[in-house]
Amino acid sequence: MHKPPYQITLKPYGQALLELARRRPEIICLGADLTRQTETDIFRDAIPERFINVGMAEANMMGIAGGLARARHIVFVNTFGVFCTRRCFDQVAMSIAYPKLNVKIVGFMPGLSSPGGPSHQAVDDVALMRALPNMTVVEPADAVEVRQAVAAIADRPGPVYMRLKRGETPIIFDESHRLELNKAQVLTGNDHSEVCIIAGGMMIPAALAGAQVLESHGVSAVVLNVPVIKPLDAATIVGAARHSRIVITAENHNIIGGLGSAVAEALAEAGSAVPLRRVGIADVFGESGSREFLFQRYGLSTQNILDVAWRGLGLGGPSPVAPVVESVPGAYAPV
Amino acid sequence: MAEQQQVVSDLRRLATQIRLSATRMVAIQGFGYLGQALSSAEIFAVLFGGVVRPGRDRFVLAPGHYVIALYAAAAAVGLLDPTELESYGKDGALLEAIGTERTPLVDLVCGSLGQGLSGAIGFALAAHFAGGDRDTYAFVSDGEMQEGQTWEAAMFAAHNRHRMGRLVVVVDVNNSQVDGPVTSVLAMEPLADKWRSFGWRVLEVDGHDVDALSRALASRSTDSEPLVVIARTEIFGRMKSIPASADGHFIKLDPTLELALISELEAALA
Repeated sequence: MHKPPYQITLKPYGQALLELARRRPEIICLGADLTRQTETDIFRDAIPERFINVGMAEANMMGIAGGLARARHIVFVNTFGVFCTRRCFDQVAMSIAYPKLNVKIVGFMPGLSSPGGPSHQAVDDVALMRALPNMTVVEPADAVEVRQAVAAIADRPGPVYMRLKRGETPIIFDESHRLELNKAQVLTGNDHSEVCIIAGGMMIPAALAGAQVLESHGVSAVVLNVPVIKPLDAATIVGAARHSRIVITAENHNIIGGLGSAVAEALAEAGSAVPLRRVGIADVFGESGSREFLFQRYGLSTQNILDVAWRGLGLGGPSPVAPVVESVPGAYAPV
Repeated sequence: MAEQQQVVSDLRRLATQIRLSATRMVAIQGFGYLGQALSSAEIFAVLFGGVVRPGRDRFVLAPGHYVIALYAAAAAVGLLDPTELESYGKDGALLEAIGTERTPLVDLVCGSLGQGLSGAIGFALAAHFAGGDRDTYAFVSDGEMQEGQTWEAAMFAAHNRHRMGRLVVVVDVNNSQVDGPVTSVLAMEPLADKWRSFGWRVLEVDGHDVDALSRALASRSTDSEPLVVIARTEIFGRMKSIPASADGHFIKLDPTLELALISELEAALA
């Protein structure tokens, strides 16, 4: 793993999709008037005959995707996360999820990563997609995972929802890192750690930074990366939490219905009595603002993880202070 | 000429058979989506009496409540074992009252209305990518066109007309929806003008005239705009036995009405 501030890259998804589509002629790319924003401009320019812009009409897009998939195409549907989940939920449910079709729905700007306010911030997309039978829900943490996820979800039969950060994507993992759709991974620590931090997507940098601070204050911490929220790798999660004094989930999503809820279900069903705290958006809509501003204001920062851990462990005094990682241009720093 | 008259006569009989089978299917429970079959009997007779090529063309049934008419038509033309019709709507039956993913004989059926045309466009695009002469037929009903997705799809098809030449849509305009006549709930006329303004070639016919329906479908051309046939029908299919006060969307069929309707239909077949 690399250290923050992380190097960034542009359009890892768009490039991976184009490379895959060159080898797989059955792949069709659909978009709804957000071509550059969903990194699919490079697909459009390279394979225009298999790129279809449906205009601002997401419901129709989902229905067309379903028809194409019934005719044995693999269809990648691209727009912002809010528009491919909330806006056309019945269409995703009936035209894609119920018939188990090979449609890969890619939603950009998860949680509070968009400055665009509540209309553009997908704070409930995981909850919505997780509730649909047959749907796989994926959230890669960095560019290395994004590249691997594209091929992995294409190979996985049936519908997939993948939420992706838009724009500059950090490079956290080494090239040797392997994303598996049925596995959560221990990034640091071990199953005898006092604190078990379970995170995914854009919260991985904060989870890693928080664990490092805890270790430096004599508190052992394990960090689990959960790139697939459904189906959840419950065995790895329960195993990692078995000897912990507290489990903390960290998600760039409403704490209702997302990773925190999924982990709570897994732990409860396994009979685990370990205390659980959910770091995430506290059941409110967001507002406009930068990622740094919003992650701090809505409780998604490294400091929030530290505060929850410190209080949860019943340790006295103020919790340790999260280091400020200088945000340099061309690099990505955890908040 | 005599041959054409025979075809028309056969299609009329087929439409009557569809109505008769549908009446018997609904009679088992005493209520059901009979009006849909009565209004669309000629449309299904024409589509399944020679237009749709089973195994080659794709058929999309947008409003899943009409599946009763499809079952009846399929049984009449040998695509379905007629004894299967007796299980219609029963617990665990293959022939469900509203179409699902289990429904046989269709490439796509939608219980949630307004979604069928989009799926049909997906099929038409796939056929375009694959080449060949595979047609896509979509049956749509008038009430479901209140769903905005219909018009998203209509706009898309016209904009992509060079890839939609093998898409044909038939609309059953029976002026019936759950809360009453479409004209009283949310009027959509002028329908032909709406489709035309969205870039479609529009033909408007008497939906109970098998000859007019056949000619309209035969007039399609694969190198022009997609074709929509607006079939004007009546929810009770011009059956004299059914009082005008009956609920068209979900008919209650008491034994007296059932007997009268079956007698009327059997007389037409005699």
